[in-house]
Amino acid sequence: MSRPAVMRRMPQIAHVDVNCFYASAERAFDPSLEGKPVIVLSNNDGCAVTRSPEAKALGIPMGEPWFKLAPRAKEWGLVALSSNYELYGDISARVMELLGRYSAWLEVYSIDEAFLGVKGSPAELLALGRAMKAAVRRHVGVPVCVGIAPTKTLAKLCNKWAKHNPAFDGVCHWDSVPAPVRQALLGRLSVEEIWGVAGRLTKRLNAIGIHTILDLTAADPVAIRDKFSVVMMRTVLELQGTPCIPMEEERIGRDQLIFSRSFATPVTTRAGLRQVLSVYGQQASARLGKHGLQTKVLTAFAGTSHYNQHQASYPSVCVALPMPTADPVLLTRAAHALLPAIEEGLKYARAGIMVTDLRPTGNQSPLEPFENPHEERHIGTLLEDVTRRYGRGSIGLGHAGIKTGLDWSMKRDMLSPRYTTHWDELPLVKAA
Amino acid sequence: MGVIVGPRVIDAGASLLSVLVSPVPVAAGYPSPAQDYFDGRIDLNAHLIKDITSTYVVRVTGDSMEGAGISDGDELIVNRALEPQDGSVVVAVLDGELTIKRLRITPAGVVLQAENPAYPDIQVPALSDLTVWGVATRCLHHV
Repeated sequence: MSRPAVMRRMPQIAHVDVNCFYASAERAFDPSLEGKPVIVLSNNDGCAVTRSPEAKALGIPMGEPWFKLAPRAKEWGLVALSSNYELYGDISARVMELLGRYSAWLEVYSIDEAFLGVKGSPAELLALGRAMKAAVRRHVGVPVCVGIAPTKTLAKLCNKWAKHNPAFDGVCHWDSVPAPVRQALLGRLSVEEIWGVAGRLTKRLNAIGIHTILDLTAADPVAIRDKFSVVMMRTVLELQGTPCIPMEEERIGRDQLIFSRSFATPVTTRAGLRQVLSVYGQQASARLGKHGLQTKVLTAFAGTSHYNQHQASYPSVCVALPMPTADPVLLTRAAHALLPAIEEGLKYARAGIMVTDLRPTGNQSPLEPFENPHEERHIGTLLEDVTRRYGRGSIGLGHAGIKTGLDWSMKRDMLSPRYTTHWDELPLVKAA
Repeated sequence: MGVIVGPRVIDAGASLLSVLVSPVPVAAGYPSPAQDYFDGRIDLNAHLIKDITSTYVVRVTGDSMEGAGISDGDELIVNRALEPQDGSVVVAVLDGELTIKRLRITPAGVVLQAENPAYPDIQVPALSDLTVWGVATRCLHHV
């Protein structure tokens, strides 16, 4: 296939994600888990959120509650572990740091996946994908797959092929796959397999005769927009090779800190979001304190899923703080300013806070009348000290504290050591 | 140069405040000649860890590496990015466990060697059969 050199130099997008991230992170420090069915449980040891291939082979569905699995775990040789967020967070940071060396254009999409802007000939791009895969495996210790394509949607799809088709050996580059092979693969996959097409949309697409990804690729984008939405039109254009989903701006800069996450199960109540925001407020306080910074502006936001066609709510508030602060009480209170904008009953898929306008602590002492009583009592440092010594969740303020509701007070009965973040829990190596 | 040199003689009835005297000379109104030379304290991370992304700290259990100066309870700094070579002290995966040994690659074969005569060498069929988890670069020995 001869293409003009100019085409080859068009930027492409690499999608990298860790295979069975939580289970892989556990296996990196406990090789005895290799080859065994392993599941990692959600908060409170509720249900299986990560399954190793062996666990999938047992027929354990995603999200299966632990109480249903526990009676048969022994018989299956099933290993269940509580979510070890300290470990996963550190491993994620290492993976992202390493990937950042391959492209200045890195978008951390979630704890275990990232998009990177990449350039080069097909041969160079394949080599780059293989280099990234090998480096993450060797340097950090977890396996990844890589998909490279002209658009995000296709890159995600290529990654899926890389994962499930052994012939690709973990790295798939769209342009390097012969066109007839691509057609055949697309013709075999349901539209459900595409990034952003949920189960409900699949039914609606099927109703108009679109079953496979190949069918959708052949559809008229404008007709799709009229029948569905702009979001769906973008998906069609992306499948056809036109990039429509831009790379996100750099999210963590020198002058801002972001605490945001998507929820495994949507939060539907104001009380639930109040807890989430409280936790973020304290995390922000701790992080600011660590860096000797204070913030002047706090933004809190929440949102329903972008792929939820029936509900769209993206409230956000920006709170100007009366003076620079890193006080957890003030930050939490500011974050709660979002609550009146939350609609009870809507399914919020994510929330976060962002603190900006950062400045060094104690540059200028506030005038006496504005002195903050909490800061005076060093509550922030105290909370951090207790947390460091006794673990997250051992202490907290109000709604983020030990008296939290069920969802946020963590039950972690089967927690593995926090191998990389706690000196008392280092991995053990045998000298025998 | 105004210098306060203590301690003072304290009566039994003196207030607490009166004992707050600097044990070392304190310069007043004259800058320390050393301050231009202060570039920060020694940072062990900077010296002991080449690449934070690929470096882990592990703890040793057992005495089979005594001869290499690695004792029970010591911490090791392990770099996963290093290429293991003949003579490297490696963390290897043996029977589902992380094990510390000295790697010997000779024409006669690959051997995982203990550094304690009480422990036998382990012959490895081929280098490709061996999973090296990382290469130990430093031992934090408890003295």
